[in-house]
Amino acid sequence: MIEFDHASRTYGSKTAVADLSLSIPRGELFALLGPNGAGKTTTIRMLVGLLRPSRGAVRVCGRDLVRQTREAHLHIGYVPDEPCLYDKLTGREFLWFIADMFGLPRHVSRRRIDREIETFELGEFADDLSESYSLGMKQRLVFAAAMIHDPDVLVLDEPMVGLDPRSARIVKDLLEDRTREGMTVFMSTHTLALAEEMADRVGIMVRGQLRFLGTVGELQKQMSLESTSLEQLYLELTAPGTAGPRRRADIPDAPH
Amino acid sequence: MPPEPPIAESPIAGSRIPVETPRLLTVEQEAGRLLILRTLTAWSTLRSMLGTARLRLGLVVVLSLLFWASLYGLFFEAFGFLESLNLDVISLLFNTFFSSLFVMLVFSTGILLYSGLYGSAEARLLLTLPVRPEAIFSHKFQEAVWFSSWGFILLGSPMLVAYGQVHGGAWTYYALMLPFMISFVVIPATLGGMLCLWLVGWIPKLRLHALSIGLLASSLIAAWVAWSVLAAGGSDRLDAAWFEQTFGRLTITEQRVLPSWWLSSGLTESSRSGFTTPEARASLVEACKFLTLLIANGLLLQMLAGWLARATYRVGYSHLACEAPHRRRTRSGRFDSLISDAGSRATRPLRLLIVKDLRLFRRDVSQWSQFAIFFGLLALYFFNVRSFDYNHAYKSMIGFLNLAVVGLILSTFTTRFVYPMISLEGRRFWILGLLPVHRDQIVWSKFLFAFLGSLLPCCGLVWLSDTMLGLGRSLVLVHEICCVMLCMGLSGIAVGLGARMPDLRESSPSKIAAGFGGTLSLVISSLFIMTVVIVPALPTHLYFATRSLGPNVVSRGVFSWLGTPGGIIASVAIVVAVGLAATILPMVLGLRAFRRMELA
Repeated sequence: MIEFDHASRTYGSKTAVADLSLSIPRGELFALLGPNGAGKTTTIRMLVGLLRPSRGAVRVCGRDLVRQTREAHLHIGYVPDEPCLYDKLTGREFLWFIADMFGLPRHVSRRRIDREIETFELGEFADDLSESYSLGMKQRLVFAAAMIHDPDVLVLDEPMVGLDPRSARIVKDLLEDRTREGMTVFMSTHTLALAEEMADRVGIMVRGQLRFLGTVGELQKQMSLESTSLEQLYLELTAPGTAGPRRRADIPDAPH
Repeated sequence: MPPEPPIAESPIAGSRIPVETPRLLTVEQEAGRLLILRTLTAWSTLRSMLGTARLRLGLVVVLSLLFWASLYGLFFEAFGFLESLNLDVISLLFNTFFSSLFVMLVFSTGILLYSGLYGSAEARLLLTLPVRPEAIFSHKFQEAVWFSSWGFILLGSPMLVAYGQVHGGAWTYYALMLPFMISFVVIPATLGGMLCLWLVGWIPKLRLHALSIGLLASSLIAAWVAWSVLAAGGSDRLDAAWFEQTFGRLTITEQRVLPSWWLSSGLTESSRSGFTTPEARASLVEACKFLTLLIANGLLLQMLAGWLARATYRVGYSHLACEAPHRRRTRSGRFDSLISDAGSRATRPLRLLIVKDLRLFRRDVSQWSQFAIFFGLLALYFFNVRSFDYNHAYKSMIGFLNLAVVGLILSTFTTRFVYPMISLEGRRFWILGLLPVHRDQIVWSKFLFAFLGSLLPCCGLVWLSDTMLGLGRSLVLVHEICCVMLCMGLSGIAVGLGARMPDLRESSPSKIAAGFGGTLSLVISSLFIMTVVIVPALPTHLYFATRSLGPNVVSRGVFSWLGTPGGIIASVAIVVAVGLAATILPMVLGLRAFRRMELA
């Protein structure tokens, strides 16, 4: 579903993403972790077609994001880290706009809009101008907009920012349901607990390079730290001067 | 078992897939969807204005109409005067006016599109949807054209209506006027858009250099034209010979390949057009030919721009977003330290706020470069006013006109840069709100920054103008007092209204300035400038007219008293009173509103 083929992206002389090769199959929830400036957002922006790789290619459902941008976009739903809405549109009007841009017929749009309003509990304020929304309400609306065309791939950049515990639960349940139905989720997050709870696989990116790729169990195994939390593993792996996963014996103060 | 969903041809892969899946839109469908979006947002904006700010809306409409009527009156008199001289300079006047606007529209639309296409959150959203890049360009182009050309319509329409009135234009002239203006605007605006796409798409690293060179070249050409018009000495009166000599130097703008020539020729033809005589019908046909020429060129350029957007927009966006971040290190200057440290402890927060704004101004190239260009061009013009060699009565009037020009340019800066300052501060209020700074000090710091910052360049320019005109000390003093009042009043209007009507949701200063409050601020500023200039100009002119032409030139009664030193002193007193009122009233309103403002 998602394929990074030796994708690199530079910012002047600085390499933000270096030779990233990654394949995520249908129905998987993948979490990309890493410290600030690791290259997560650049990776996501290449995945949604905002940035072009300097080298290599990015494909979604077999469509190249550079050469078949629009075709690829039909398969992608995107929740950015900063929700962008039209202040002078109501939530419902915004959803209609997004559904229209994806070319959904009117009757399908109507049904989907009602479905998403119900799913994300937007009914109470769906007809208010979005300029009056709180951050959490905006984030829920953006989620609804990203799901309106039933995308094959959902790309999430820090999805839980601004969501209250109930909304976060709704999103988690939704992601579980949809991945079970075959949707692929690519998520960038700093919330390690979320990745630990939900992700099928995690990727840990440090200074533009994928330092680890696998399940949390595999990471624990690789570092011989079976009883250690993802947070501890993550901190160990992303510590300054660390080149890759170290073994338990090499880590001072690690529980033996 | 649920029924099968309906099946339709998929435009994506050529296979048959359920129609419930998303599909690519045609060009027309994309344009239609984006038009609906624009209509919805515009309607919603208008509705919320009518619901919450009727008085403000009414005030803006009334003041704008007054402004339009004043401009109309001014142009009506000017065209009448030229008509009385029996001169054929209208074509040259139109050509010069429209060619200048052409250049300005190229740059202003290009700059607006740059921020709209590459810096806006909306563009980021649209680029993640299955939309053609040319459709996004077209959508943002419409927005940029609206923002860049409303001034052209506001300034151009009273001029053209006045021209039609003076020259007895038939209804066909008025009917064709707006189509002419709109079709003309599309050409420079599209060129500006293409320039923007080309610079970012193909030479992203050199875009700022190219833009600077372009602006510099345009400024040099404008300066050269101004110099060639003004430098040579000539007749000392505003008579037919002077106009012919002066406008003769502007024939460079009468090039048949320029759209400004098509527009001015079309307008002059349409002013003679009609259905009554064969000549009028022939003129109408000629006018329609020029309109067709403008429309055809506009459409051709739109097609080329669409092609350019398709080829470069996404690439350019990616290039620009992936530029190496500039690390700019800078130290605070001695001047900053001087302001911060001098004075009492009680006023230190105020001074620190001024220093902060000063630093932001210095580090924002768009602010100081525009300031430098406009005031530099004005200084260049003032250096040359001595070449006119006016008699004394005209010298006084020219001095006041120069004062008005300084005021008008300052008002554009106060509206564009000073008015949005409080709104932008509101977005950072969580920082200031936690500091031990009284809210009043924030507003006062903006006022002092604008007032003190504008005082030196404006008073310097007025002094330069008066010196070049060879005016006496007393008249220089009158002009300088008026200038101080202009700086104070314009700063008060911009800061006061900015605090009274802040837009805390908008992050773009240009959009804040283009909003209701900004427009209102510009209109009030213009009326204020007219008052400050006209009130002392009349008695001063009467005084010099009496002195040079004898006491009989002025009739008895109040006019004869006005033309005495007492009349001039009284007028200056009125200017001071108006200046104080223009400062105090908006500031009081702004301070009150800012104290009560709730900032989440």
